[in-house]
Amino acid sequence: MGKTDDRRPGGATRRAFMTSALAGGAALAATGRSWAEGDPLITEIQDWNRYLGDGVDAAPYGMPSAFEADVIRRDVPWLTADPVSSVNFTPLHALDGIITPNGLCFERHHAGTALIDPADYRLMINGLVDTPLVFTMSDLKRFPRENRVYFLECAANSGMEWRGSQLNGCQFTHGMVHCVMYTGVPLRTLLQEAGVRTSGKWLLAEGADASAMTRSIPLEKALDDCLVAFAMNGEALRPEQGYPVRLCVPGWEGNMWVKWLRRLEVGDKPWAQREETSKYTDLLENGIARRHTFLMDVKSVITSPSPQAPVTHGKGPLVITGLAWSGSGTISRVDVSIDGGRNWKTARLDGPSLPKALHRFYLDIEWDGSELLLQSRAMDEKGYIQPTKDELRAARGVNSIYHNNSIQTWQVRQDGEVENVEVS
Amino acid sequence: MSKSRKVAFGLAFAAGLVLLPQWASAADAAHGEKIFARCKACHAVGEGAKNRAGPQLNGIFGRAAGSAEDYRYSDAMKDAGAQGLVWNDDTLAAYLAAPKNFIKGNKMAFGGLKKPADVADLLDWLKTASGGAPAAEEEMAGLSKTTGQGSKEPVPGNAAPHAGSDMAEASSEPPHGTYNLGRRATDAEVAAWDIDVRPDGTGLPVGQGNAIDGEALFTEHCAACHGDFGEGTGRWPVLAGGQGTLTNDRPVKTIGSYWPYLSTVYDYVRRAMPFGNARALNNDDVYAITAYLLYLNDVVTEDDFTLSNENFGDIHLPNEDGFKPDDRLEEPEYAGKAEPCMSECKRGPVKVDMRAAVLDVTPDADNGEEVGSGSVD
Repeated sequence: MGKTDDRRPGGATRRAFMTSALAGGAALAATGRSWAEGDPLITEIQDWNRYLGDGVDAAPYGMPSAFEADVIRRDVPWLTADPVSSVNFTPLHALDGIITPNGLCFERHHAGTALIDPADYRLMINGLVDTPLVFTMSDLKRFPRENRVYFLECAANSGMEWRGSQLNGCQFTHGMVHCVMYTGVPLRTLLQEAGVRTSGKWLLAEGADASAMTRSIPLEKALDDCLVAFAMNGEALRPEQGYPVRLCVPGWEGNMWVKWLRRLEVGDKPWAQREETSKYTDLLENGIARRHTFLMDVKSVITSPSPQAPVTHGKGPLVITGLAWSGSGTISRVDVSIDGGRNWKTARLDGPSLPKALHRFYLDIEWDGSELLLQSRAMDEKGYIQPTKDELRAARGVNSIYHNNSIQTWQVRQDGEVENVEVS
Repeated sequence: MSKSRKVAFGLAFAAGLVLLPQWASAADAAHGEKIFARCKACHAVGEGAKNRAGPQLNGIFGRAAGSAEDYRYSDAMKDAGAQGLVWNDDTLAAYLAAPKNFIKGNKMAFGGLKKPADVADLLDWLKTASGGAPAAEEEMAGLSKTTGQGSKEPVPGNAAPHAGSDMAEASSEPPHGTYNLGRRATDAEVAAWDIDVRPDGTGLPVGQGNAIDGEALFTEHCAACHGDFGEGTGRWPVLAGGQGTLTNDRPVKTIGSYWPYLSTVYDYVRRAMPFGNARALNNDDVYAITAYLLYLNDVVTEDDFTLSNENFGDIHLPNEDGFKPDDRLEEPEYAGKAEPCMSECKRGPVKVDMRAAVLDVTPDADNGEEVGSGSVD
């Protein structure tokens, strides 16, 4: 980044930064007389108004402003044994709209990021097909392609919250989700090219990384809306998102979206691979586990205010905003409560409403400065309603790990600080 | 690739073709296997073959020169592959007759087989031992392109013409699908990648291993993370024990307590373990480790239990019946689909009864030592 590094506001956390900004504001107000003529930021000539900035080639690939250096993916080191097989989280609290910037999409790898030269890339289709095929990158780019916006959520998102409030920040409680526009070839097109035999009922998708990730997908889904994608938000996939090619399985758990996709096998039964037996199965209170829980349920979360995005402006107009999504299609409605779920108001959805994509909602209120208990509750086009934590625990116990889509509560205190809480 | 090397390769290749009529008949595979004894010091072939001083030879027929995974080739051999040299009867015969002349600067320390009949016998045997050959038209299509357009720059994304769709267009393979894009996968290619094993045993390789050998292998390759007895170290997965804990407050989910099928163990160890050195174990090693894991989980009681593709289907893990289909949408919170309550939904003011700050496990500079509960796995 060159020169701009010098201007980074250090390694301070966003909260520390906000707090000091607030303190600075208070100091200015206290000594208001010293700038009675006006705000020195206006009345005095600033450096950026006098001196030349960087030229056009300072950053051939542009980076966010140095003042946004705190808006980054973060991990929870205690959660996994080794960062090579781990996860980090999207900073939802600092984002707006429905599209996640490529560099902020959460990562989950099982054996690190595979580095594959597109010239060395091969995609094989085998099994119950008329012609087993091998495609190169240039082959894939000769098929008719589509652009689709989809959310991708890890089934374990919010999985640390089953037993109660644990992580103070929606980045950590809900940050295993992102939403980008994919460009790719419909999986159906590639399967038809090989000719699926009538005995084919399931598809195995396999990655080229050192975990050789595998998941079984019902053929019906594979022929419906899955994409073999090579671009996200208009540019090539990021390495950590499966460059050069990943599978998109819209509305279904992120683990099935195999990255560094190298093979698709058609079979007549599921394969019972590690990621669909020992993992990604949902243990219930009675000791029985659900398997093949592919669908991501209707869910929402308020992203601001939230613990990492406290209210810094005192009473008056306050924008409450968040995200809602459902693997079943579009979001039809989001209700927001400021009193812990006693009373609800329907929020305003803004931006495109696309099936199996994030939806952005807003509730613009006049804050009286009193404590708030913020909740959001999403409904999808199929009529499914986001459940409460108690409802989910009553149905499943607390050992499911996966598919926790329950309603989140944030407590906003009078000083604007926010905490992850549960309410009765 | 330098011009002089390219010329040398072209000439030698032409010489190779001249050999064709001399060895085309009456090959003797048994004799070929004996000849291969002269190659064995450096080259492995067959199940689990690994690179030695020379590259392993599985799938050699139809393979681009210089393309065996993880083998450190000479630049000359890599260049020949990049130029489109693909191994088949013709090219291998030319190479084996005069290795130093065929590709100048390659590092195979072998003088060559003087008798064309020996070459033919060797190749006849090797074709079977290495997993077969693709259809002859495919090989020739790849070659004719290379030799005919030797000066053309490789197409981006298609460095090896044999692997790209160009070949499909040039071959006599019947067209497939709507677009006729991509090319037919060879049997050797499918065999190289399709190693998945299903619960019914489909995909298991022929082989066997016993728990005693498995213990030694486990100690060497697995115990650093999983512990000597599968108890797990740090947050690495626990593999053994835990039976009867699935209804406990803190269940221990292991192969013996939770996993439904043994095939998953074999498949996963073979494809992804040891962590950071995947595919390093041969098929018998994987049988041995799987046998040891059965022993650690008390699924078998003999400490010298031998597991093979023959008896694999007889083994059932204790929790095979512990799973049911997804019925989330029948749960009360979804089944109702009632219009949600909008006002006075709770009696009286709401009280906070749990706070994240109490646990204090959110990553921050101040609490690096704190560990919360839960996992993403």
